[in-house]
Amino acid sequence: MAEPTAPGMLRGDSPGLRLARRSLVLVALCAVLLPFADLSVVAHDPWAELGRMATGLALPHWGELSSPLQAIGLTVSVALWGTLLGVLLGFPLALVFFRSRLVRTGCAFVRAIHELFWALLFLQVFGFSAVTALAALAVPYAGIFAKVYAEILEQTPRDAADSLPPGVGRLSRFVYAELPLAWERLAAYTRYRFECSLRASVLLGFVGLPTLGFHLESAFREGHYHQAGALLWLFYLLIGTIGVWGHRRLLPLLAFASLFLLGPWPHVDGDLLWRFLSHDLWPAPLLNGDWAGLIAWLGDIPDLGPAIGNTLLLGLMGTVGALVIALLLWPLASRHFGNPATRLGGRALLVGLRSTPELMLAFIFLLLLGPSMLPAWLALALHNGALIAFLAARHADSLEPGMPGLSASGRYAYELLPRLYPGLLALVFYRAEVIIRETALLGMLGVATLGFHIDSSFQYLMFDQAFFLLLVTAGLNIAVDALARRYRPREVVMDDPCSR
Amino acid sequence: MSVTELLSLADEDVGHASQVVLPRLSLTLRVGERIALLGQSGAGKSTLLATLRRRLAADAAWCPQSHGLVPQLAVYHNVYMGRLERHSALANLWNLIRPDRRAWTEIETLCGELGLAGLLRRPVARLSGGQRQRVAIARALYQRRRLFLGDEPVASVDPHQALRLLALIDARHDTSVVALHQRELALSHFDRVWGLRDGRLVLDAATDTLTLDDLDRLYPDADAASSAPADEAAHG
Repeated sequence: MAEPTAPGMLRGDSPGLRLARRSLVLVALCAVLLPFADLSVVAHDPWAELGRMATGLALPHWGELSSPLQAIGLTVSVALWGTLLGVLLGFPLALVFFRSRLVRTGCAFVRAIHELFWALLFLQVFGFSAVTALAALAVPYAGIFAKVYAEILEQTPRDAADSLPPGVGRLSRFVYAELPLAWERLAAYTRYRFECSLRASVLLGFVGLPTLGFHLESAFREGHYHQAGALLWLFYLLIGTIGVWGHRRLLPLLAFASLFLLGPWPHVDGDLLWRFLSHDLWPAPLLNGDWAGLIAWLGDIPDLGPAIGNTLLLGLMGTVGALVIALLLWPLASRHFGNPATRLGGRALLVGLRSTPELMLAFIFLLLLGPSMLPAWLALALHNGALIAFLAARHADSLEPGMPGLSASGRYAYELLPRLYPGLLALVFYRAEVIIRETALLGMLGVATLGFHIDSSFQYLMFDQAFFLLLVTAGLNIAVDALARRYRPREVVMDDPCSR
Repeated sequence: MSVTELLSLADEDVGHASQVVLPRLSLTLRVGERIALLGQSGAGKSTLLATLRRRLAADAAWCPQSHGLVPQLAVYHNVYMGRLERHSALANLWNLIRPDRRAWTEIETLCGELGLAGLLRRPVARLSGGQRQRVAIARALYQRRRLFLGDEPVASVDPHQALRLLALIDARHDTSVVALHQRELALSHFDRVWGLRDGRLVLDAATDTLTLDDLDRLYPDADAASSAPADEAAHG
């Protein structure tokens, strides 16, 4: 009889091992493809530059800021009204979301394009105006709200509606027996989306709208790091105090007051708008029905293959990076590890990384390291990894180890990680869609992803090409989302739309 | 069907869309009867009540086991929902903002009788279990139908209150079918017992011909552990 032997590495059929194998395949795929990524450091002295930035952040020059209050006012106004308009558009769509394939497809499409790309598109018609800023937020958010609201409403308990007497109308049933039950979750998600829109509103400055990001970008670009430090602190202060100034009771007042801060309002030329929509956005050969010309037109698009390849590669690297960062960082903020001082520091680090948008992180790393995929990778991995780590730490804090007195590594590997990992991995898969959208966007900073070509097409006023590339980006995003959904761990504890 | 019969089933398979829970069921429900529906959980009580509710939709006031209340809404609005179909959508919407005066007066009186006086504006989420139960009954009473169908409507109140609630239900409905787990209450308060066991109607008799021992036979768990009180064994 054969000697009983221990099973081989990662053999077995427990859910944990299945997830571990799935994760390792992802990591291995990333490692194999890594040589194809351009990870060179181009800058000559990144450490000195980093030192100057750190000094700027440590010693901000508040006096040098010109009209920071105006920038903050506009940032908040755009975020608030962009979200509100998104709700107004998205809520009715949510009610028919599961009944209409057209609505679902349309929502998936508008969601798949990043706020900043929408801004670039609207910029061509509405110029540097409030309409561009609001539409850039409201359009994708309408698609997001429609989907998430529809999911929340679908999960509403049926008991109350089922116990109604027969013959109750659809609207009465909805407002009495469905809406009140879902209200809290709808409100929580709307609030979360408002926080996202605040970050997006800051980023709109990167395409030239005069929000906080505009001043941040120019201060960084011109090397005024003390000024940039002050603006960065202002940004963190704004995000950190959102519970105070964005209190439920203050919101109506805030919404009304911010109407006056929005501006400037553009003069829209109807003919020009129509020309843009009916003519400029479409390839001329397509409008003329010239199929051979269309193929030639497609051939003229520079580096489409490499751009798609780079986008996918950076997306994969960002996702795997976020997974690794999350696994390394979550104990920093958990009550099961370290002492109060390390936990405070860890939590501050995670919240800081989480609140800083990828584009801003990537921009800072780009100034340090020069234009390659490295800054984009670092930004994606750190921001998303920290976000996931923070949620994982919060989840870990709600757990009670069954065996007290284990060593830290034992606690990590035997008590906590096995319980956290399905949720953590599910979040990574959720974020994969966000990461691929950001990846395309980071092209605007010079990384050779799709966004780079979209940005330059807009700059050369080749709207047909830019629009086509936007469609490609959206298609890629939808495909990655479908793939991630297919391999996402199911039935996990941390499944809250506010954590996606 | 004679005038006094509300519903008569003869050898019918009763169940949900996909599954027959009570095969070849025969029973008759007559006007004026007060029927206690007994049986272990899983015996098919809820399925039978759902069938009665479906067949007698226009006549039946329904009080579900899960209460079906909306915790975020006030007691007033939860009770008002009993007559939601009798007002226009617009009137219902407006009522959420400003209570309808006539409905308010009527519900205030009703809630007073159920020991919920002064709680009309309180969200159901902030009520105790017993209070919620009474709100669910208030909603059923507010429907003003001739037949009351209740799935354990007095499960979470004390025995005295249970008697009072059943009396109120009797005063406002000429016929009732109530699922229960209190066997004594079934004998003392109802005309007739329907006993279900394993998907069959094994008992259909007037209460004055029955004893507690007859009812005990509906609970197989009580056979096994006769020392344990049957009420507990059958609980839930």
